Amino acid sequence: MTGPALFLLLAGLGAIAWVSARARAMRLQTVARATGRRDAVHSLPGYHGWYVALWAIVPAVLFLAVWSNIAPGLVTQAVLADPAAQSLPADDFSRSAILGEARAIATGAQAGAFNPLSQGLVEPYRAAISKYGLAGAVLAIVLAFAGGAYAFTRVRPDFRARTRVERLVMATLLIASLIAIVTTVGIVASLLWESFRFFSMVNPLDFLFGTKWSPQSAAMGYGNKDAFGAVPLFWGTIFIGAIIAMVVAIPLGLMSAIYLTQYAQPVVRKWMKPTLEMLAGVPTVVYGYFAALTIAPALRDFAVMIGIHGASSESALAAGLVMGVMIIPFVSSMADDSIAAVPQSMRDGSLAMGATTSETIRKVLIPAALPGVVGGVLLAVSRAIGETMIVVMAAGLAANLTLNPFASVTTVTTQIVQLLTGDQEFDSAKTLAAFALGLVLFIVTLLLNIVALRVVKKYREAYE
Amino acid sequence: MTEATNPLAIANPKMSARDVKVFYGAKQAIKGVSIDVDMDHVTAFIGPSGCGKSTFLRTLNRMNDTVASARVEGTITLDGDDIYSPSMDVVQLRARVGMVFQKPNPFPKSIYENIAYGPRIHGLAHAKADLDVIVEKSLRRAGLWEEVKDRLHDSGTALSGGQQQRLCIGRAIAVEPEVILMDEPCSALDPIATAKIEELIHELRGRYAIVIVTHNMQQAARVSQCTAFFHLGDLVEYGVTSDIFTNPTQERTKDYITGRYG
Repeated sequence: MTGPALFLLLAGLGAIAWVSARARAMRLQTVARATGRRDAVHSLPGYHGWYVALWAIVPAVLFLAVWSNIAPGLVTQAVLADPAAQSLPADDFSRSAILGEARAIATGAQAGAFNPLSQGLVEPYRAAISKYGLAGAVLAIVLAFAGGAYAFTRVRPDFRARTRVERLVMATLLIASLIAIVTTVGIVASLLWESFRFFSMVNPLDFLFGTKWSPQSAAMGYGNKDAFGAVPLFWGTIFIGAIIAMVVAIPLGLMSAIYLTQYAQPVVRKWMKPTLEMLAGVPTVVYGYFAALTIAPALRDFAVMIGIHGASSESALAAGLVMGVMIIPFVSSMADDSIAAVPQSMRDGSLAMGATTSETIRKVLIPAALPGVVGGVLLAVSRAIGETMIVVMAAGLAANLTLNPFASVTTVTTQIVQLLTGDQEFDSAKTLAAFALGLVLFIVTLLLNIVALRVVKKYREAYE
Repeated sequence: MTEATNPLAIANPKMSARDVKVFYGAKQAIKGVSIDVDMDHVTAFIGPSGCGKSTFLRTLNRMNDTVASARVEGTITLDGDDIYSPSMDVVQLRARVGMVFQKPNPFPKSIYENIAYGPRIHGLAHAKADLDVIVEKSLRRAGLWEEVKDRLHDSGTALSGGQQQRLCIGRAIAVEPEVILMDEPCSALDPIATAKIEELIHELRGRYAIVIVTHNMQQAARVSQCTAFFHLGDLVEYGVTSDIFTNPTQERTKDYITGRYG
């Protein structure tokens, strides 16, 4: 029996269970009500329906999930027990290649065999697959009937079906939220594990404080010493994400927030705010080629014209400027929220003293909104230093430790991409360095987010 | 000049409104109010919620300008000058006509900075010493000096509600206004703090023209010399406070005073 048909059958069984349990509960409750006791009836008939339907479906589906994992192993064992399998070569590699081919032909994914041996195994495979498939389906249906029947016998007027259904709903929601948390924990664990392997090859102090980054030389056998100094990467990241991008994003974001909250007519605000927020929806790869193809060459030509040495076509400035533009909506929407949260009475108080709008903004609104603005900026920094696409396309790969914004620098994210693209061996320090970089980035952005959220939260409380 | 707009028959009223109408979009909130406000007395505006008394008060220092949909018609003069004429600078107007709000709204700055805010933006003090003098004088007049003189640099928002409201009055006084508008200044305060504010209003009387909007008729009777009764955007009756409360000429005023509605 095929998968979809089986699931349709189970769903049908569930529907029948729902309808019949509901009908039974209604009938029994009508009788029970006649006794006149208010506590004679507990749950609405629909809950009884759900209770029985869930008992019919959930165990069967869980069984199928488990079965689909163990069935292939059972199939393989059955095939190996077949006389035709006696002629298989002894070594594991060619054995599993032949078995794989036979299975592909048996399931119809492949038309003909390269290896004559696999042709002989197709029939046993087909037989085993259909045998275990049928067994699984029968067991699932039996389970569905058994579960449904068990639950059906429990349908009584005073049975607390509602409580049980609610409990299952809660469990489902809990599992959904746990999946996200478990994934995060898994990611952190894998980062930690791979970083640990890296640090067993490279001294953590050399990594964190070394100023020379050339993982390629380590891969070519020149040793791990002096190859994994990540300071130029950290500097590049900070230079682009926390300095140049913020020099662009903070003033522009703040000023646009002030204009939108304090000066703009409602009509203007209605159009400008979504337009500005659309900047946040542009895919970063689009910003990336804008930076690489338009801004970077223009900046290089400009630098050459005014006679700056070391101007590169992949400059920190190009990546930083474009990243700054990308970050504007973050800063402006956080600043917008915190300025709007300053009570109107504060503004009125200042205006009634004879202050102008701009004096009110400078001396009352901004100081009062400052914690929220700072929180927004920290979130923006954390976003900027984790940003990958723009810097991969526009910032270059040379790990320079330089203050010249027209020179090429590289960032943590760029190097991670660089280290992990192409064919890799996951036991060399060069590849594992990507995980150590990822760990550092993760810790820094996590800390920034925690601090930013604290600041914003504390500020929110101040006006409630 | 009719008795209805000028019950005390003052020759040169400090502020004078003639046929003032206020609209919020298409809705008319004030329907042609004419009233004179005198320098030496406290004028109270009373009336039920939504009668337009606060709206009218806000026209006197053009705070309605901050509401985009608001439109004001008619004339309002301060010492004979039209405050809605293009030549009137709203910054200077508000320095001359100060305002205290319903809810105490000190800035999230120190007590000192709250008082110094106005003098700074209007350039009233050039040296720190001048500013210190203004701060002390204003806090003394607001009756707050003795309570805060040792903690001038603590935050103004850390004071009690009544102290905050006196701080706001001190802040308004600091720019040497001629008129002080008070929009239900005691509605957020307890009875003791209210009594202090009322006492303060008595002390300030004569130095500034004071206009107070209040919900509380006893308060109007206690602090004011003239009372105006507003109802549904109309100025129903304006007169000497004792007359309004003991011998109102209008039926609507009588009903309100005796608690028939409001």
